[in-house]
Amino acid sequence: MIKLEHVYKSFGKLEVLKDINLEVKPGEVVCVIGPSGSGKSTMLRCLNHLERITSGTIYIEGEIADQRENNKDVLNISQEKVQELCTELGMVFQRFNLFPHLTAYENIAIAPKNVRKQSDAEIKVIADELLEMVGLEDKRDEYPSRLSGGQQQRVAIARALAMKPKIMLFDEPTSALDPELVGEVLEVMKKLANDGMTMIVVTHEMGFAKEVGTRVIFMDEGRIIEEGDPREIFDNPKEIRTKAFLNKIL
Amino acid sequence: MLTQPQIFAIIEGTIKTLQITSIAIVAGILLGMIIAIGRISKNKVLNGITWLYIWFFRGTPLLMQLFMFYYMLPLFTLDIFGTAVRLPGMFPAFVAYSLNSAAYLSEIFRAGILSIDKGQMEASKALGMSYTQAMTKIIIPQAYRRLIPPVGNELIVLLKDTSLVASIGMFDLLRTVNQMTNATGRWQYYLYAAAIYLFMTSIIQVAFGKIEKKYSAYE
Ligand SMILES: Nc1ncnc2c1ncn2[C@@H]1O[C@H](COP(=O)(O)OP(=O)(O)OP(=O)(O)O)[C@@H](O)[C@H]1O
Ligand SMILES: [Mg+2]
Repeated sequence: MIKLEHVYKSFGKLEVLKDINLEVKPGEVVCVIGPSGSGKSTMLRCLNHLERITSGTIYIEGEIADQRENNKDVLNISQEKVQELCTELGMVFQRFNLFPHLTAYENIAIAPKNVRKQSDAEIKVIADELLEMVGLEDKRDEYPSRLSGGQQQRVAIARALAMKPKIMLFDEPTSALDPELVGEVLEVMKKLANDGMTMIVVTHEMGFAKEVGTRVIFMDEGRIIEEGDPREIFDNPKEIRTKAFLNKIL
Repeated sequence: MLTQPQIFAIIEGTIKTLQITSIAIVAGILLGMIIAIGRISKNKVLNGITWLYIWFFRGTPLLMQLFMFYYMLPLFTLDIFGTAVRLPGMFPAFVAYSLNSAAYLSEIFRAGILSIDKGQMEASKALGMSYTQAMTKIIIPQAYRRLIPPVGNELIVLLKDTSLVASIGMFDLLRTVNQMTNATGRWQYYLYAAAIYLFMTSIIQVAFGKIEKKYSAYE
């Protein structure tokens, strides 16, 4: 479904991703953990072209989404193709990034309307269903500034789902939230996972990873150091660096 | 007090002031938007041309720009093309003020667009929107509200700066009362002019305050 082959990414001299190889199969919920600066966000952002990789190949749904060598395209990918690929991937950001000038409903409706050119009637069905799924039917016409962090993040999840993505990317979706609001967002994510959504989740929520994660990946200094079953990694890590990291956050 | 011809002269001067101001702000906004897009774009040529434009119009006195379109243009065209091209009537003022305000407004627009959080463009792209869609649906509508106060300021500056047209022989509000003072030796005329200027700038201030409130619904 998603495959990264020998992916490298540098910002100038700083090498942030070093030879990342990863394959995610349909229905998997992959949780990514690792210290700050280890390249977790960058890895997600490379998938939907928010960052361009320095070299390597990325496949999405069997198609080459990006293939580069020394910061040059090996395969030329048109802007339209990139946009199309982006709609296969839904992304949820740490800081929500809702559109503040649009209501909850309009936030959800804007991409189906402008990118997919769906009719208002079609959109209404999708948006109402999603608002119900994230438990915010009564906040339909509120602007983001009037919503709590947890509610905003749930709208952001609904906004991403409105494009019917095949894979959802979450970049620390609960780490900007007050502790008492984390649960409601995780609840929605669990529901999604149980419905069979393929997900890559950067998170330090061990409970979530253990409950719905199918695999945990530990990254450090731009490399995947260890991966495996969540219980295995958390309870019985093999690598010293993984142990040290887990000791610090637990 | 004022005689009837004097009242008419003051009204006429005020109308000229308003004409220049309104033409310059409308033309300046339209041209300013185009220049702002050029400044933001990644196209090197567009970027260079618009940079040069702003550099010139902000880096030289407005009065000199006014002289260029009034005095220099006919001399220049006579020298180069053999015929003197003269902008008719109030056009030298219209052109100079429009081009000048476009330079200032474009910088206001550019700053407004750049002040929008990077995450907004990223979220738009992640949803599959094109650059143009993200700009027109997400970025510009948000920048819009932040632009209202500085554009109001620019309009007030512009209105006051129209008094420079006296130096190219036009009878705007200030020149009109100036002449009355010279002719009669009485001092009151300046107070009338001050009252009219204050009235106009206050209206602008109140109106822009109202517009800003109206567009702040979501904050
Ligand atoms: N646009 C950028 N330009 C330059 N350096 C960047 C850029 N984005 C990220 N970096 C650097 O790349 C490294 C990896 O960043 P990244 O955000 O991927 O880490 P992370 O694992 O997500 O960390 P965190 O847990 O703090 O979110 C960091 O050293 C960061 O400073
Ligand atoms: Mg990060």
